[in-house]
Amino acid sequence: MNNDYIKSEGFQLTPEQLDVLKEIGNIGSGHAITALSKLLNYEIDVSLTSAEIIPFWKIVDLFENPQVEIFGIYSEIHLESDLSIIQIFTKESLINLIKYLNEDFNLSADKIRIIEDLDDLSLSIITEIGNILSGHYANALADFLSIKLIPNVPIVALDTLNAMLNGIIAKYSQISDYLVLINTKLAMKDIDLNCVICFIPSLNILENLFNLLNIKYDINL
Amino acid sequence: MSNVEPIDRVKKMDRDGNYFVPMGHYALSNSKNIHLTHNPKLSIYGLGSCIALVLFDEINKVSAMSHILLPRSNTNKEIKFPHKYANLSVKLLMEELLNHGALRGNIRAIIVGGSKIFDFDNNIMGFDNTSTVKEELDSLKIQIIKEHTGGSKGRNVFFDTKDYSLYVKSTGERDFKRIY
Repeated sequence: MNNDYIKSEGFQLTPEQLDVLKEIGNIGSGHAITALSKLLNYEIDVSLTSAEIIPFWKIVDLFENPQVEIFGIYSEIHLESDLSIIQIFTKESLINLIKYLNEDFNLSADKIRIIEDLDDLSLSIITEIGNILSGHYANALADFLSIKLIPNVPIVALDTLNAMLNGIIAKYSQISDYLVLINTKLAMKDIDLNCVICFIPSLNILENLFNLLNIKYDINL
Repeated sequence: MSNVEPIDRVKKMDRDGNYFVPMGHYALSNSKNIHLTHNPKLSIYGLGSCIALVLFDEINKVSAMSHILLPRSNTNKEIKFPHKYANLSVKLLMEELLNHGALRGNIRAIIVGGSKIFDFDNNIMGFDNTSTVKEELDSLKIQIIKEHTGGSKGRNVFFDTKDYSLYVKSTGERDFKRIY
């Protein structure tokens, strides 16, 4: 029976438990994406959600091109413990999205090297997109688990994925050498948009989750 | 010196013979013992709030770099990756240098990183990391000869053990700049 566990010393999850996390990711991202799709009036392709348990130093390996500059929209949710949602957009994606929503915007992606190169309107468009995605994600989770989840106003940054994840990984790796990441990839052909919604629950949240759902767990903190 | 090889020391070189240091790990280069004149670069790509700590003894030709994530440990459990924490990494990295023939009085430090990528008020991780590393170095009487810290941009950094030079490229910049 022990063979069913994905062993990572002090932190074990069964394939069934990972499936539950995947499902939670599906529910959250499903609602978030529906909201975005309604706002933009376009269909959005969602590839499957993945749930992984991974040592902190290997997290950057999960993503393609961690050295490329990307837009990251980061929101935190404080419950009794923490969870984070970070939305990762390629630079071109988000510029396309701004252009679609604001016809006056005419800067090309390679003209934008730092976040300050964007005007206030564009920045608030990005923040709002982030708000919609993380808000609906959190709402769906809250409904599903009958708990209260209120995300902070998201913060936008333009940097390499590596640098961006640094602080977030650091925060969660204080309690464990392993982190759980629930990633959903989405794409939109019409606007040429590529995004990953990355949901990072703290280990305390996982315990709460499994408790609420009446699933046996053995997270040995 | 213990015979057990630490799990957090980077031993694998990349194609060009350089070391890439992941979070919570460290790399060490001891040019004195190597007959071949190989001088690897020690590098970290994508530093945010983390710190790249470089300690080196130019005379005895030993240098090391660690990738620090957090100011200090707050757990009683066994710590598998001590270089995650500033308070442990500084001491351990110095001991490693001494084990490899460095002299305490020759050791110099360079610190890079500790930026604030996401600009919210209580995001003081980078600042905390920087100040803790400095305090620790100070308590060990190790001189910081150069620092490139703070700000809001990520950094790429490499230390060339050939001539003990250090290069940094912040996000948005095109090229690496030599800062030491």
